[in-house]
Amino acid sequence: MSVRTERKAAWRVVFLNDAVTRMSYAVMVLRKLFGFDEATATKHMLEAHEQGRSVVWVGMRENAEAHVFSLQQWHLSATLEPDEES
Amino acid sequence: MKRVEVRLSITAVAPLLDLIKSVADELRVHLAVPLVLSDADTELAAVWREDLLASQRDDCDRLFSLFDQEFFMEGVVAFDRDNAEPVLRACAALRLRFRETHLAKIPDDTLEALEASSSLGDLDEIVQKAFACFLFLDELQKIILKYLDPMAVEEDE
Repeated sequence: MSVRTERKAAWRVVFLNDAVTRMSYAVMVLRKLFGFDEATATKHMLEAHEQGRSVVWVGMRENAEAHVFSLQQWHLSATLEPDEES
Repeated sequence: MKRVEVRLSITAVAPLLDLIKSVADELRVHLAVPLVLSDADTELAAVWREDLLASQRDDCDRLFSLFDQEFFMEGVVAFDRDNAEPVLRACAALRLRFRETHLAKIPDDTLEALEASSSLGDLDEIVQKAFACFLFLDELQKIILKYLDPMAVEEDE
């Protein structure tokens, strides 16, 4: 008998930069939605500001969808993409 | 968050409310932030769009409920734990919409410089008013963020 284990593919939540939103607002939302500390939220905000995007979460598709929806609800642009490293 | 009352200038704010309301009306049918989902997710996008629009409408309604009789008599608006987050979101959505519409022709660096100086520069009259709304919504956000986290806004300055 062979047992095959299959890992579910992981998905990334990518936070995208915009030129309008106040930085402290973005940091507050990232802290609130992902439970980041101030330094981690600020790091993601600056990464998105400088590079246009920051991967803020990796995990199961359903949870990733919920995170992207929440970010959109706070008017922060975000998208989902497969995590190629998983 | 305890209840916070903020006194605003009625003469400065009241003339902006019509334009803010007209932009809020656009947000009843347009998302402030377009969905960025793959073509494979069109069904998901359709469901989300309706839910996000409903949330956006609720938030804008909460913002406008600040400008009640008390505001027009005393110039006072009040924030508490129930309305702070919806009003913050409404301000964010409205600022994004102003940027996309009335302020679309202003380059990012010019807008940033005008914001930093809080000056109206040599903008056309209608654009000046839109920019004044844009600044006012930012001020409201700052006030709420300051009460949610007093350290947060200082880092923006």
